[in-house]
Amino acid sequence: MIAFGSAITKPDVYARCAEPGISRAAEADSEVLAQTSTGTIFESYNRLLERGARCQGLEALVLVHQDAEIVDAGFCAIIRRALADPAVGVAGCVGAIGVRSIAWWEASVTLASFVNRYDELGGGDLPAFSWAWADAPAYAHTGEVETLDGFVMVLSPWAVRNRRFDESLGEFHGYDLDFCLQVREAGRKVVTADFRAIHHRPLRMLPDPEPWMAAHVAVAEKWYGRIPGIGSEPGDWRERALRAEAERDIARAMAHSKALEAEARVRGAQRALAEIRGSLSWRLTAPFRRRARSAV
Amino acid sequence: MALDGAVQAPGAVRRVIVFASSITDPAAYDAYARPGIRAVAEPASDVLALEAAGGVCRSNNLLLEVAARREDLEALVLVEEHVEPTDPGLCGKVRAALSDPEVAVVGWMGATGVSSIAWWDGRISCGPVVVRYEEHGGGELPACGWTAVHRPPHEVDSVDGRLIALSPWAVRELRFDERLSIGFGYDLDFCLRVREAGRKVVTADIGAVHHHPLELVREHALWVEAHVRMAEKWDGRVPGVANDRPDWKQRSRRAEAERDAARTLAYSNASHVEARARPLERELAAMTASRSWRATAPLRRLNRLLGQRF
Repeated sequence: MIAFGSAITKPDVYARCAEPGISRAAEADSEVLAQTSTGTIFESYNRLLERGARCQGLEALVLVHQDAEIVDAGFCAIIRRALADPAVGVAGCVGAIGVRSIAWWEASVTLASFVNRYDELGGGDLPAFSWAWADAPAYAHTGEVETLDGFVMVLSPWAVRNRRFDESLGEFHGYDLDFCLQVREAGRKVVTADFRAIHHRPLRMLPDPEPWMAAHVAVAEKWYGRIPGIGSEPGDWRERALRAEAERDIARAMAHSKALEAEARVRGAQRALAEIRGSLSWRLTAPFRRRARSAV
Repeated sequence: MALDGAVQAPGAVRRVIVFASSITDPAAYDAYARPGIRAVAEPASDVLALEAAGGVCRSNNLLLEVAARREDLEALVLVEEHVEPTDPGLCGKVRAALSDPEVAVVGWMGATGVSSIAWWDGRISCGPVVVRYEEHGGGELPACGWTAVHRPPHEVDSVDGRLIALSPWAVRELRFDERLSIGFGYDLDFCLRVREAGRKVVTADIGAVHHHPLELVREHALWVEAHVRMAEKWDGRVPGVANDRPDWKQRSRRAEAERDAARTLAYSNASHVEARARPLERELAAMTASRSWRATAPLRRLNRLLGQRF
């Protein structure tokens, strides 16, 4: 039996996003563990793991963020294939290798089968690179990775019964990397699987960077020297500090440039639209367009 | 040579504001800096335009060496070739700022709370400066338009070196550090040495156009290297900053987290760019692909040929 679990802080979001996805993906005998969350995601997910561990005949526990929506009706078959290898401890649809920190997206991402669906600015979708295989780059592939994006995580029965989210790490950030590192340290595999999900979230990724940065440091400190790469960078501490400060500042400059680019692109398009709408030829041909629209 | 129309009485000792540029791109100088200087200089002003001699520090030092020989020097205004000063009151504002004998550098934009060559991460003081860009059909945006800026004058930690006025003291006593060969951060270094010498760096309310792409920094790897070199050079010596012995491990962990957060913010901003611009660009594409727009294209071409509005 494949169980689904969500930690819910916003019932309306769960009802709009995760619930329809779970309904789409679940099988007749699937259990849905929808749990009101009051503490950290680490605590909530551990409670879900405890409930999942008590499920009879558990094949997998799928942890779904309340704002994540699974889109594949054949989801259960896909994850059964991924978990057919008994060494697999956890699977997801977004993963990376060469990971050094909770900013796993700074590493080499091998699969990103999701869209970011946002409500701002009239709403829209930003598909990640392997949302559609036809458009995917050559480096997109499923297989073993170092970490997953935790918005949809599929845990094997072994992981459900033998691993726990580390509640000492904070409120929210870094739980997914830390869990994957625990799985790998125990000799099990972390893999990506060919399913897709919609992440309903705002465009701004880190509205409050301080807790995220605290988790970045905490996870680096916890795993430095235990798993190769994590918390590591070239050079001694002084060199690392000076280089990271420089790289931080160039990243901030890039963010500023992007803000300017947004303004310039919007202004350019608005100007071009105004020119066309104000042109005599556009105004003269308006009746033809109206007629064409009414004929449709 | 004096600007066109300058008249100077023989034997008169008159203090002069000199404008100077080192030129790597003569076309850019002719298009931007030169007309700007002409528009804002005083009749008695001199213009010193020299071919760049190596990097920006060596080239600027050459300008300083030439200017330092002048007994009548009131100020030396260094103008980067992509900067077009537009403020007819520039000389007056420079003169006013330099009337305080402690002031050695006057800039068009600068900041307080500066801890690195990314001076724009401090509290920005900036006059009516616009960036004129060519991307996306071209246009103008306020300089530092991503954040709130404060209108000069202010005493600041550092100024942007692309339009600065130097006092005669600065011209004669200081030089740009030619060891900073990468070309970034030379302005911060100069300002730090001015402040180390007990003098002031200030901004003035100077209007100008900066002809520049939207991207703030283009050569990322070089810029990072320059940042590191500056940090090493000034480590523990920045005027006004406590010289604590840093815990390098802690500082490294923190900086790496801040770096990754900043990169994530940059990605977020890129998503915003897409989200804001894409619907408009889609609408534009649909309009220009419409049968009516295509059918009337010959009329617009004819209209353009006739050089008059249809």
